[in-house]
Amino acid sequence: MTPSADNAALVAGVGMTPFVGFRDDASVRDMVADAARAAVIDAGLSSPSPIDMGVAAYESDHFNRQMSLGQVLSDTVGLTGKPVMRVEGGGATGALAIRTALMALRSGEARSVLVFGGETNGRSVDRATAIEILSLSADFEWETPVFGTFAAPYALMITEHMRRYGTTEEQFAEIAVKNRRMAIDNPLAHRGMSITVEDVRTSAPLSDPYRLFDASLLSDGAAAMLLATEDWARQHSPNFTDRPPVAILASASATDRPRLSDRTDEMFPHFAAKRRAAAHAYREAGIDDPPGQIDLAEVYDSFSGAELQAYEDLGLCPVGQGGPAASEGRFDQGGKVVVNPSGGLMGRGSAVGATGIAQAVEVVSQLRGEIAGARQVPGARIGMTDTHAGVGSLCVVNVFGRLG
Amino acid sequence: MRITGTERETGPDGRPVYLLGVEMAQRYRHAVGSSSPFYIGLEQGVLRATRCAGCGASWFPPRRFCEEDLTETEWYDLPGTGTVVAATRVHSPPPFGGIDPPYILASIRLDGVRGGITHRVIGAQTPERGAAVTVKFIDGAPAHPLLAFAFAIEGASP
Ligand SMILES: [Zn+2]
Repeated sequence: MTPSADNAALVAGVGMTPFVGFRDDASVRDMVADAARAAVIDAGLSSPSPIDMGVAAYESDHFNRQMSLGQVLSDTVGLTGKPVMRVEGGGATGALAIRTALMALRSGEARSVLVFGGETNGRSVDRATAIEILSLSADFEWETPVFGTFAAPYALMITEHMRRYGTTEEQFAEIAVKNRRMAIDNPLAHRGMSITVEDVRTSAPLSDPYRLFDASLLSDGAAAMLLATEDWARQHSPNFTDRPPVAILASASATDRPRLSDRTDEMFPHFAAKRRAAAHAYREAGIDDPPGQIDLAEVYDSFSGAELQAYEDLGLCPVGQGGPAASEGRFDQGGKVVVNPSGGLMGRGSAVGATGIAQAVEVVSQLRGEIAGARQVPGARIGMTDTHAGVGSLCVVNVFGRLG
Repeated sequence: MRITGTERETGPDGRPVYLLGVEMAQRYRHAVGSSSPFYIGLEQGVLRATRCAGCGASWFPPRRFCEEDLTETEWYDLPGTGTVVAATRVHSPPPFGGIDPPYILASIRLDGVRGGITHRVIGAQTPERGAAVTVKFIDGAPAHPLLAFAFAIEGASP
């Protein structure tokens, strides 16, 4: 699909900070300032003044210690006077902010939107405090009092997946190994590691069958993206014609029952909202053969098995085949679809408000062919991002395509 | 709020950086609101759910109104039995405490209602899917009212 000039949403610029365990030299506003400045400069602008509006992405006042952070960040990135809104969608926050910007462009409300997100999920809080805050992302009234770890609901889902389809611990451990290996070559990644399935299976138990290395990282970081209509980009982005344009081909979102035990037996081991969002996005992007047409996917690997489940729910492999796909390395480097070339949440890390934007930064950089070394997916033309809140209560799928 | 101290460190580029230690504690009065009859039921040793007076659809956790036809729901008592959908052994304590790890957490389909609960199963053994469980009220003051009960596997020795 080639969007026409009057409804195309082009990616004019991208930027992000490295994701790290703790930035002792930067606040969340510093990181967002760096990412936003990089995105504006990437678009060839010398000032943010032509940008019509801002969308701020962050999840938690508890982690960031600032209410009304959206306005503070908007001021920090140089958009004072322009409209700004803050978007929150749990783990899908960053992707939802991009989707919100797209809606503003499509409605004609704006011709250019700067999306900026950040979070200090890293070690600015001690481990006990982090666990306490994160426990609020379950249902405070019905789940938080019994959830010893957020791994627990994911563990319940994958337990049923294992029983139903014969999925094994080793199969999802392969994903934990893959993503950490991918991150080694990503200079922006929180922690690349060379580990084995054995290392994953002998790491500290969280909630059976999940162990520490099956889980993702908590990071400090920020990311930004400047979206614009083609006419705005031609007018204001001096380097617009220097490189192949990348557009958002589709964006979709869907929801599911937030509490795992409210879901049907049939869908218990699956992300129903992910399926709906992906189906909608593929239809909009003209994708009828996802593994055949998508070159790379940044997938929400909050836990290793969640990536395995996502292979199925995103239509990258048949339902029940996520396990064999993982053990065969079907979505590894060199695969038909490369999943999480950035290293994902397990390797690149996760700073919640920035995560979905950082995924999109990776996808756009890949589609432009700007990734150094073996991480570059050769000839990539279509890439997507997948994020979710909770255990898939809100899912956002964004699809990007190289037009030139 | 209080400042617990300040730090000076050398940043990654060699320049000095300054950090504040901040402590905040929050206290709340959390209204459980429309779920109040459930909590009061726990004090009487019963699990309660809601059903629609119009179409008869039932809900656990309780809902204020039927999401199909917007009719206000009414309360009724559940038998307290159910079936395990999936279970996991959890290796850290829940945020309010009250359970020593490792412990068993299960998604339980409750009998007599459409819906279920994720809750603790007593014992060290992780039950299989389909295992029948019964609610068991626990003596003493729980760390959280929701921990006033747990589920026991039927046929398991107490
Ligand atoms: Zn009804």
